Amino acid sequence: MFKRDVQRGHRAAGLVLTSVAAVLLASCGGGSLSEGGGGESGDNSGPVKIGLSVPVSGVYASLGEDMTQGFNLYLDENDGKLGGRDIEVVSADEGEGPETGVPATTKLVTQDQVSAVVGIVNSSVALGLQETFVQSEVPLIIANAGADDLTAEASPYIWRTSFTNGGVAAALGEAVAEDVGDGSVYLIAADYAAGEESVNGFKEAFEAAGGTVAGETYTPFGTTSDWQPYLSKIRSSGATAVYTFYAGAEAVNFVKQYSTFGLAEKTQLYGVGFLTEGGVLDAQGQAAVGTQTSLHYSDLLESDSNRRFVDAYQAAYDEVPTVYAVQAYDAAAALDAAIEGAESTDGAGIAEAMADVGEIDSPRGAWSFDENHNPDQPYYLREVQEGESGLGNVIVGKLTQ
Amino acid sequence: MLSWLDANTATLLNGFALAAVLFLVAVGLSLVFGTMNVLNLAHGAVSLTGAYIGVALLGQNAAASSFLVAVLAAAAIGLVIGVALAWLTSSVGDHLRQALLTLGIALIAGDVLAEVFGDDVESVPAPAGLDGTVVVLDDPYPVYRLVIIAISALIAGLLYVVLERTRIGAIVRATVADRTMVEAMGIRTSLVLGGVFGAGAALAAVGGLLAAPILGAQPGLDDTVLLLALVVVVIGGLGSLRGALVGAVLVGQVQTLGVSLLSEYASFLLFGGMALVLLVRPRGLLPAKIGSHA
Amino acid sequence: MSTGVQSPTSSTRSARVVPRVCFGAVVLLLAGLPLFLAPYPIGLAGRILAFGLLVVSVDLLTGVTGLPTLGQVAYFGVGAYTAGLVGIHATSSAAVQLVAGSAVAALVALVTGAVAVRTSGIVFLMVTLAIGELTHQLADSWSVVGASDGLAGIPFVSVLPGGAPLVLPGFLYWWVLAVFLLGMLGAWLVTTSPLGRSMRGVRDGEERLRALGQQTYPVKLMAYVVAGALAGAAGTAWTAQTRFISPGDIGFDIAAFALLSVVLGGAGTLWGPVVGAAVVILVRDWLATFLDGRGALMLGILFVVAVYALPRGVAGARWRTHRTRGSAT
Repeated sequence: MFKRDVQRGHRAAGLVLTSVAAVLLASCGGGSLSEGGGGESGDNSGPVKIGLSVPVSGVYASLGEDMTQGFNLYLDENDGKLGGRDIEVVSADEGEGPETGVPATTKLVTQDQVSAVVGIVNSSVALGLQETFVQSEVPLIIANAGADDLTAEASPYIWRTSFTNGGVAAALGEAVAEDVGDGSVYLIAADYAAGEESVNGFKEAFEAAGGTVAGETYTPFGTTSDWQPYLSKIRSSGATAVYTFYAGAEAVNFVKQYSTFGLAEKTQLYGVGFLTEGGVLDAQGQAAVGTQTSLHYSDLLESDSNRRFVDAYQAAYDEVPTVYAVQAYDAAAALDAAIEGAESTDGAGIAEAMADVGEIDSPRGAWSFDENHNPDQPYYLREVQEGESGLGNVIVGKLTQ
Repeated sequence: MLSWLDANTATLLNGFALAAVLFLVAVGLSLVFGTMNVLNLAHGAVSLTGAYIGVALLGQNAAASSFLVAVLAAAAIGLVIGVALAWLTSSVGDHLRQALLTLGIALIAGDVLAEVFGDDVESVPAPAGLDGTVVVLDDPYPVYRLVIIAISALIAGLLYVVLERTRIGAIVRATVADRTMVEAMGIRTSLVLGGVFGAGAALAAVGGLLAAPILGAQPGLDDTVLLLALVVVVIGGLGSLRGALVGAVLVGQVQTLGVSLLSEYASFLLFGGMALVLLVRPRGLLPAKIGSHA
Repeated sequence: MSTGVQSPTSSTRSARVVPRVCFGAVVLLLAGLPLFLAPYPIGLAGRILAFGLLVVSVDLLTGVTGLPTLGQVAYFGVGAYTAGLVGIHATSSAAVQLVAGSAVAALVALVTGAVAVRTSGIVFLMVTLAIGELTHQLADSWSVVGASDGLAGIPFVSVLPGGAPLVLPGFLYWWVLAVFLLGMLGAWLVTTSPLGRSMRGVRDGEERLRALGQQTYPVKLMAYVVAGALAGAAGTAWTAQTRFISPGDIGFDIAAFALLSVVLGGAGTLWGPVVGAAVVILVRDWLATFLDGRGALMLGILFVVAVYALPRGVAGARWRTHRTRGSAT
C-alpha cells in the first residue's frame, strides 16, 4: 500500500510537471530575451485593445462591477467603438490588494499587449503599477484610486478621471468652518495613506478658513470593528462636529455605531462621499440620515446630462449609478477623444493624445484634466435624506467651482 | 477609580459583548481540538454561514420571533455542517492533512457564500424591541449587546452543567483526556466526536448570527473570526470550556479596552499578547487535563 | 537528493541514478524556458520558483524537523523588504541584496527562534502564526517600508558589479533560477548532513533523542535559522523580479498556502513541496484568470481532492508523528 502511494504520488508529479510544461508552452510567445512591444504597433484598421482592471473578487468587487458597467455603457452608446475604432476589451481582476492587482494588471501590458488600461480601485495597487506603465509606455487611466502621490509629478502615462484624496476633502473645509463657527471639529479616520491624506487635506482647508480642531485620531485600518472607545473620546472632547474618512465595511460600521451610540443627533457628521455611496448606504440604512459628504457626483444631481445618464444606466443595469460608474464612463469618454485624435494607436500614441482631450461632457458636470492630469471638477455638498425611492445623497450645495 | 470606570463603562461592556460572541464561536473549536486533535480551519466559515442565515431570513425590521426562528435555523444548519465535517475528517489520518481538508472546505464555502449573497457588506438588524438604548452610568448603551452577554452567559452555564453533571458530559471529558481508554471501555467515540463537532458548529453558527447586527456579514469576515477564535482557544487552553471562556474574555477586552488605552500599539496587542501567554504557559491558561498521549 | 524510500526491486546504484538524471533534466528545462516563453509566463515561472523556495524552507521545519510552521512568511518578508530597501537606498547589485536579505532574515530568525523553538506541536504552530502576523502588522504600519502601500519603485537589479541592470524578463528569471538552485543546494546539503539526521531524529522521536544524550534545542534552533535564511533568500528573489513588495504578500493566507503546499507536495522530501508550490501558484494566478476571480474556489477544490487522492502528497513521502507511528496507514 505504501509503495502504491509512492508510485501514485510520482505519477501525479509527472502529470503536474508535464501539464505545467504544456501550460507554459501554450502561452509561448517568442521568448523573453528581447524587447517587448508597448501595445499595438499602430495598425490603422484592426481593433484597439484596451485593458480593464478592476476588482472582480474580494471586498471591492461591487465597486469593480459599477466601473465595468459604466465603462461598458459608454461603449454600448457608441457601437462598441472609441475614436471611431473597434475596441477589444481585455479584463483583469485587480482583487483585494497589490499582491493580486499588480501581477494581474501587469499581465495586461506584457502578455495581452493592450494600448491603454482603465480602472484600479485601490491606491496601493496604482502605486505599485506606476513604474511599469511609465517604463512600458502604456497609459494608465485611473478610474478610482485617490492617492495624492500618484499624480504629484505629472507623467505622460498616468491619468486620472476620479479624484485626489486631498482634493475632495479640502473642498469641505470652508463650508464646515462656516457651519461650526466658534465650535470645533474632531477628526477621525482609518490609519492608512488614504485616511491621512483625507484628514490632512480637510484640516489644511478648514484651519485656513478659521476653524478649530478639537482632536485627531487614527484607527487601525481594516481590523477595527468597535468604534465605541473613539466615540467616547469624541463626546468628551466637546466637538461640535466630526470629520471622518472611512470606506467599505468600516464606513458601514462607523456610521451605524455613530448613530447607535447617540452621537448622530448632537454632533454633525461630515466626510467624503465614499462614506455613504452605493452599497455602503444600503447597509447603513437609517443610521446614515443627516450625514453630509463632499463628492464630485450624486445620482440625484439635477442636470440634463446626468438625467440622461441615469436613465440609460437604469435601463441597462436596473440599478442607480454610483460615482464609480461615472468615473469609468468618463474614462471611456476620454479615451474616445484621445483615440480619435491619436496619430497611432499604440500606448505612446494614445498617451500623447490624452494631453489634447479637452473638455469632457460628463454626468457630473463638464470637466477637463488639470496640469497634474487630475479632473478639474466641481465638488458638491450632499446630505443623506429619505426620498420617495428610499435613501439617497441629495445635493444641498456646491462646494467649489 | 470610579471616574475611570465611568469613562470606560461602554468600552468594558463592549469587551464583554465581543467576548460573548467569541466564546460561542471558540468553544466548539476548542472542544473539537481537544477530543480529536483536528484543527478545524472551516470554523470561521461556519460562523459566517450563521451570519448570512440572518441576512437571508431577516429583512430590514425583524420581529423578535423571526429572530428566534433564525437562531434555530442557524443552530440546525450548523449541526448538520459539523457532523458532515466530522465524518469527512475522520477518514483522514494525519493532522496537517485534516487542516488542508478543512481549509479547502472553508475556501469553497467562502466562495459559495459570496456567489449567493454578493460581495457587499450586508447588515442584519437587531430584533425589534431590543434595538434601543438603555442608560448605563450616565451614557446610552445598546440593549442588544447586553442581551448577547446574557445569552452567552446562559449558554456557558448550560454547557458547564452538561459537561460536568451529565453522563454525556463525562464521556466527552473522558474522550478529551484519553480517547483510547474510552474506546477500550466500549463506547463508540466516533459518535461522541460527531456530536461534539456538530454541537460546536451549531454554536459557532449561532454566534455568527448573534454577532451579525454588530459585525455585519461580508466575505473575509470568516478569516477574521477564525483568527480571533484560534487565539482565544490557544490562550485559554485546548479542550476546555473554562479556557474558552477565559480566553474569550481576555481577547474581547484586549480588542476593545486594550485598543482604547493603547491605541498606537493596537495592531500588535492581540498577537503580542498571545505570544506572551504561550511563552509563559505553553498549554494555555486553563488547559483540560490530558492523558499520556499528548 | 531525496531521502525517500528505496524500491525493493531495484539495486541501490540505479535508485540513485534515476533521480539524478531526472533532476538534471528538470534543471535544463527550467534554464531553457526564457528561450521560448513570453514575458508573462516567465514572470509566472519566476514567482513559482521564489514561492517554491519559501515552501522548501517551510518543509525544512515541517517535514524534516517535525515543526509545522506558519511563520516563514515573516522571514520571507524580512528578506524581501531588506532587498527592496537596499535596492532603493544603497545598491542595485543583486548579490548584495541576496546576502543582505538572507543575513537579516537569519538574524531575525535567530532572535525569534531562540524563543519559539522552546515549544512544539500546536503551540509552536500558534507561536509562529503570531510571529507571522506581527511581522505582517509591522510591515503594514511602519512608514519606512511604505506601510499599507508597500515598497514600490525598486530599481532593476544588476548581476555583475557595475554591470547593466537586468531589464529583460528572461535575464531576471535566470537570476531567480540561480538563487533557487543555490537555495535547494543548501537545503539538500543540510538534510544530508549530520544536522539533517538530528533534525529527522527530532521529528521521529524527540524524547528518544534526548534519552540518548543529544541536546535537541540547538538542533531545532539551527534548523530554524537555516530555514529563516532560505526564506529570506526567497524574498530577495521575489523582490528582484516583481520590484514591488507589500504587506499583502506576507499575510496569513500566504503562510497557510505555503504550509499546505508542503502537505500537498509531500512533507520531508524537498522537491515535492516545490511541485506543490507550483500547483498552488498556477491555480491561483493563472487558472483563476479564466474563471472570473474564482481562484479561492479552485484552490479549495484542489485541496479537498488532493487530501483524498494523494494520501502522501505528490512525492509520496511518509509523514510521521508519535501517534501514527504504529497505525495501519
